[in-house]
Amino acid sequence: MPTFKLDGKEIPFQPGETIITAAYKHGTDIPHYCWHPGLSIAANCRMCLVEIMPAANQRAVMLDVLEWDAEINDYKPQRKPKLQPSCQIAATEGMDVRGDTSEHVRDARKGVQEFLLLNHPVDCPICDQAGECKLQDYWLEHGQYQKRMRDEPIHKPKAEVFGPTIVYDAERCVMCTRCIRFMDEVAHDPVLDMRERGNLKEVIVAQGRQLEGHYTLMTEHVCPVGALTSKDFRFKARVWFLRAAKSVCQGCATGCNAWLDFEPRSNKAQRYRPRDNEQVNKYWMCDEGMLTYAQAHEGRVFEAKNKGKQTTVAKALDATKKLLGSVPHESIAIVLSAQHSLEDNWALVELGKLLGTKSVFYTKAADGYEDKILIHKDKNSNSAGVALASPEAKPFSELQNAIESGSIKHAISLGGITPKGEADQGVLAKLEALVVIAAHESALTQAAKVVLPATSWAEQSGTFVNAKGHKQVTDRALNPQGSSEPAHTLLAQLARALGLEPSWSKLKDLRSKAGLADAAPSIVPTTSTQAV
Amino acid sequence: MGRAFAKKPAQPVNASPVVYTEDSFATRSYLPAIASGLATSMSHFFENARELIKGNRPDPITEPLEDGITTVSYPEQKRPYPERFRGVHRLTQREDGSPRCVACLCCSTACPAQCILIDAGEYPEGDKRRGYERFPVRFVIDELRCIFCGYCVEACPCDAIRMDTGAHAAPYDSREQFIYDKEMMLSFVSRDGKHVTENPRHEPGDTSHPGLSRDKH
Repeated sequence: MPTFKLDGKEIPFQPGETIITAAYKHGTDIPHYCWHPGLSIAANCRMCLVEIMPAANQRAVMLDVLEWDAEINDYKPQRKPKLQPSCQIAATEGMDVRGDTSEHVRDARKGVQEFLLLNHPVDCPICDQAGECKLQDYWLEHGQYQKRMRDEPIHKPKAEVFGPTIVYDAERCVMCTRCIRFMDEVAHDPVLDMRERGNLKEVIVAQGRQLEGHYTLMTEHVCPVGALTSKDFRFKARVWFLRAAKSVCQGCATGCNAWLDFEPRSNKAQRYRPRDNEQVNKYWMCDEGMLTYAQAHEGRVFEAKNKGKQTTVAKALDATKKLLGSVPHESIAIVLSAQHSLEDNWALVELGKLLGTKSVFYTKAADGYEDKILIHKDKNSNSAGVALASPEAKPFSELQNAIESGSIKHAISLGGITPKGEADQGVLAKLEALVVIAAHESALTQAAKVVLPATSWAEQSGTFVNAKGHKQVTDRALNPQGSSEPAHTLLAQLARALGLEPSWSKLKDLRSKAGLADAAPSIVPTTSTQAV
Repeated sequence: MGRAFAKKPAQPVNASPVVYTEDSFATRSYLPAIASGLATSMSHFFENARELIKGNRPDPITEPLEDGITTVSYPEQKRPYPERFRGVHRLTQREDGSPRCVACLCCSTACPAQCILIDAGEYPEGDKRRGYERFPVRFVIDELRCIFCGYCVEACPCDAIRMDTGAHAAPYDSREQFIYDKEMMLSFVSRDGKHVTENPRHEPGDTSHPGLSRDKH
């Protein structure tokens, strides 16, 4: 692979790649606002200027400038090299690029930083971006000057509502046009644009339109500053209190990679942020998916239930023993879930093998909206995982038929989100015994004799298989809420209650048996996992 | 339970042996000691009496009745606290009586005792105070956890929290009473009896405020 030099470091590049892209892929950050690896090049922020040394047989392009000299108290003519935006210049073999090591580049960065902050309100204390803001980071790295302008800054609209999800603050905006380019190029809905010029410039929504659709929250995440804020996350938490865990979106079968930001002190998930994955979601996520973080708390089963009454897990297991102890084991049906991790499903399949049952079913939510960008019509995070755990599993409708015909009277179910939701309860009442291990309330938990509280994807590491067949591991973020326990431990306890010896006890055993590589958890402070 | 560290045998510290000597009869009878003690007391008595008669020393009987008392009958009477005494927190108010606080959580971040809890919110659409953008829906300080370091006051960018009440947390009879909420701290006044501070603010709507409307441009 050809290479070029950046501050003396050899950086490999694909022919045609720009300097900043090659450096980014190599893990070196050239300061930038408007450049984004997933968007077109605008080259309007001028933050990524670098000095490119002339080739051996060429002269450098020099500019005549006037520089203030405090000693003679006047401007002095000077010559400076012409700097070039690294986001726009393609790298060539042997190119000598100077960034941090060039005095002119350092000067230019400081100048750009001062220019961008000229009319900035510096309202960091009430800005949601504070702590993960490029303006703050680069001021610290490349600015560190005192404000010189003594005039009142230009005032522009604040807290302008762009749509149902996004609020815009024109004073904080650096006019990088990332949000505009995102709506244009990725969401294919060019609803944002700019108006005015110079320091009156601002982002506007097309007349008669709102910023709406399925990819509006992404504009907040591409915004390098606090100009666009999401209504959902607005004022909810300060980012320096958050920690991030690698997670996978639970919204659909695409399985977008995400950071699950949570507050350890209150054990609360606060938001999803897209996590780069070239093969799955690139840099993007959809609105519906990004809001699924709330399912870590909403509609959850936190306590064990016996005949609708709250009880302890131990007592619920005793009740299970009474319900299923005298029943021939092979007549008990097992119901997998397309919303639980592969490990949990695999544990239930194992339990089914121990029971010797042939009746294996699965539940999943109904199909929904789909588009060509990210959103998959299958609204379950692990449908492919169920098919992997048990290829012969039959859908929920067949379970309903089997109950109707009376061939199945006893069932152990994982999860239980069904296509029609509450409306699916009808036939389930015919079951003599239904034991449900679930993280979320559903028709099955409503109809169940015994409910055991399982942890959700946010409280337990698990593997989810997306529609393309990628096995993706989520890290544990929260501590288990209520008396919930990982579903595979509950299944192991259930097996013991039925007088069977489970073949798994730890997640590690499960993973090695199910042929999944063990992934080390990686919880990190949010500020170090910034988006580009 | 096993010990964390193996127990060492006792070692002499600064090993010089203590010498015990037999007390003499005079010592054991206590009489010379009593006599010398009485002599000291009486010398003080005569000294004091002489000074009192000469008028060099105040009469201990009539002294409390006179002005210039030296004993402070706390809590009815209090010594003046120093100028920068850090008392219980108060939340300063804007001109319209709403809190100056913008719920930025800087105080909560700076707090080494983690005793400040704030929930931020927005005034609803149509509220006159909508332009304040952010305000504390809930602002709670646990005065038992607080170590009165004053970092919250230093950190506040809005001069919204101050410790200039000149009062310290009163002794209550339950822990819950030490949890001060927003309304309580808003009701506290500074030592000169004010809800506001000397630092001015430009509120949206003031003539001094630059205004933030799109129509202006």
